[in-house]
Amino acid sequence: MPAEAAGVIHDLGYRRYEGPRLGRAQIVRALVWHSFRTAFGLGRSAKAKVVPVIVLFAMCLPAAVNAFAVARGNARLVPYDTYVPVLRATVMTIFVAVQAPELMSRDLRSHVLPLYFARPLRKTDYPLAKYLAFTAACLVVIEIPLVLLYLGTIASVHGGSAVWGETRALIPGLLVGLMWALVMAAASLLLASLSGRRGYATGSVAIFFFLTYTLATLLINVERNGAAPGMAASTAVKVAGLLSPFTLLDGVRRWLGGTTLDQVPRPGSFGILYLLVLLALFAACLGGLAARFRKAGLS
Amino acid sequence: MDPSHAPPAASEAPPAHVIDAPVIETRALTMIYPGDVTALDGLTVDFAPGVTGLVGANGAGKSTLIKILLGLLTPARGRAAVLGRDCATEGQRIRTLIGYMPEHDCLPADVSATEFVTHMGRMSGLPATAARERAAESLRHVGLHEERYRQVGTYSTGMKQRVKLAQALVGDPRLLLLDEPTNGLDPAGRRAMLELIARIGAEFGISIVVASHLLGEIERICDHLVAIEGGRLLRADTISSFTQASQTLVIEVEDGTAALRDELSRRGLAARTYQRSLLVPVGGGDVYDVVRDSVAALGLPLSRMEQRRHQIEELFRDDVEAADAR
Repeated sequence: MPAEAAGVIHDLGYRRYEGPRLGRAQIVRALVWHSFRTAFGLGRSAKAKVVPVIVLFAMCLPAAVNAFAVARGNARLVPYDTYVPVLRATVMTIFVAVQAPELMSRDLRSHVLPLYFARPLRKTDYPLAKYLAFTAACLVVIEIPLVLLYLGTIASVHGGSAVWGETRALIPGLLVGLMWALVMAAASLLLASLSGRRGYATGSVAIFFFLTYTLATLLINVERNGAAPGMAASTAVKVAGLLSPFTLLDGVRRWLGGTTLDQVPRPGSFGILYLLVLLALFAACLGGLAARFRKAGLS
Repeated sequence: MDPSHAPPAASEAPPAHVIDAPVIETRALTMIYPGDVTALDGLTVDFAPGVTGLVGANGAGKSTLIKILLGLLTPARGRAAVLGRDCATEGQRIRTLIGYMPEHDCLPADVSATEFVTHMGRMSGLPATAARERAAESLRHVGLHEERYRQVGTYSTGMKQRVKLAQALVGDPRLLLLDEPTNGLDPAGRRAMLELIARIGAEFGISIVVASHLLGEIERICDHLVAIEGGRLLRADTISSFTQASQTLVIEVEDGTAALRDELSRRGLAARTYQRSLLVPVGGGDVYDVVRDSVAALGLPLSRMEQRRHQIEELFRDDVEAADAR
């Protein structure tokens, strides 16, 4: 073969890799980080960043307004444990409906999974990494506004006891946010993993969260309006609250001692049921996610 | 070639006469899918170092074998080992040693080849910096240069196949499993891909298994061939012994092909029909005489009679027919 042809077409000289190799745990960590970045469109085109940026902006807006209000002498506008319930439910639904398929359906549609499974990772490592990454991403979207709310408030309050009071109110709020992130990431990733078509995946996630939420709040309101004012919430109202992840989360929050009022009535003796249904939903989503990928082969 | 990049691999490669341990061994390997579908049926075969063609029709068990070798399927019976490691128990370790190129499309459209191969390098266990370096090198080795910064969705099929090969190469594997690497390519693309595979096998010191249903195509670049059909081994041998066995006499008569075949077999020659002609293996020196006498005895118009080294594919077709008949 003429030397120039070889030089032009293939510059050979293969070098072995003698350096360190990462173990499975470190590979999972690399995948978590990669997926976390993907959830915010980082390292991707500008188009991929549009929704995450809008979502973060919308979620932080009440915190920003609060900072102004508190600076002008008002009390804190928004509670930590519910934030702005309808805004949070809506914006988080949009976030997971758009970004869960970004993490899941893209890989499914491009059939890239066999390349992961032909590598040291185990089959359950892939959904585990995606889940950890997406939970972290949801946490960022939920908790950053709370932290801003806190910072905007304590910037204007005076005295250590006031700051301490705010801090004590913030901590349960952060824990409620964690609960939201854990459940929403699990449910949305499972739904997104069922279809490689992004449109379907986004639709199914959005419909699941919106439809169940609408249904639950509708039933709750119907039952409530029928009841005499001042009466304790009826059993039907409490059962209706079991129908959607958001009302479940809120019921558990109330049962655990959350004082802020929301649509869901205090579940009372139903509290444990709320917790069990929420745990069952959570476990089913994670189990379904693991099963979805344990079955996946090379095609 | 740039002397600073002179490949050490070629000089380090063991001389050809040294008989190395096989890179893949299977022993009575049997895989039965739910519903009683037998994908592998007692397959016992060794793959020697070098480039080996794994040939068989679709459904012959090639993909099942690959999955077992990667430790992703547990065989019903028998065992398999890759580079001396048991596939059933050391799958994770084996997967660090294997680069796998799937048959089907497996590339996301909206990332650049560089980003994609770098990420796959990370997933192979390379630290971040090493993954970037090796991704650039792998893409250069497969012949992708400036275009590697473009999104994969804009690539031609040939370029995509090269990216698939690059991601298999990025983790510095000891063994490459390439499943139908020329799929979807035009003739020039096929030739280029085969040349690339041959070069990787010869100069990078990496053993390669090329699974294909097109034997005529890959026989040119393989040192060995393993043919399977219906989950069973048809034949495993070096290319040269395959070709030695393939000296064949091609006979065409205007009509009466079937009668001539019967006549030849009556005279002890195993002729078989291939398209419009009869193929007779050239054994002893009297084959020509027997054919001449048979044609003359039947009074048939002989239009063609030539000796040739035919495509191994035809030889397999024969074996496949025989296997089907069993």
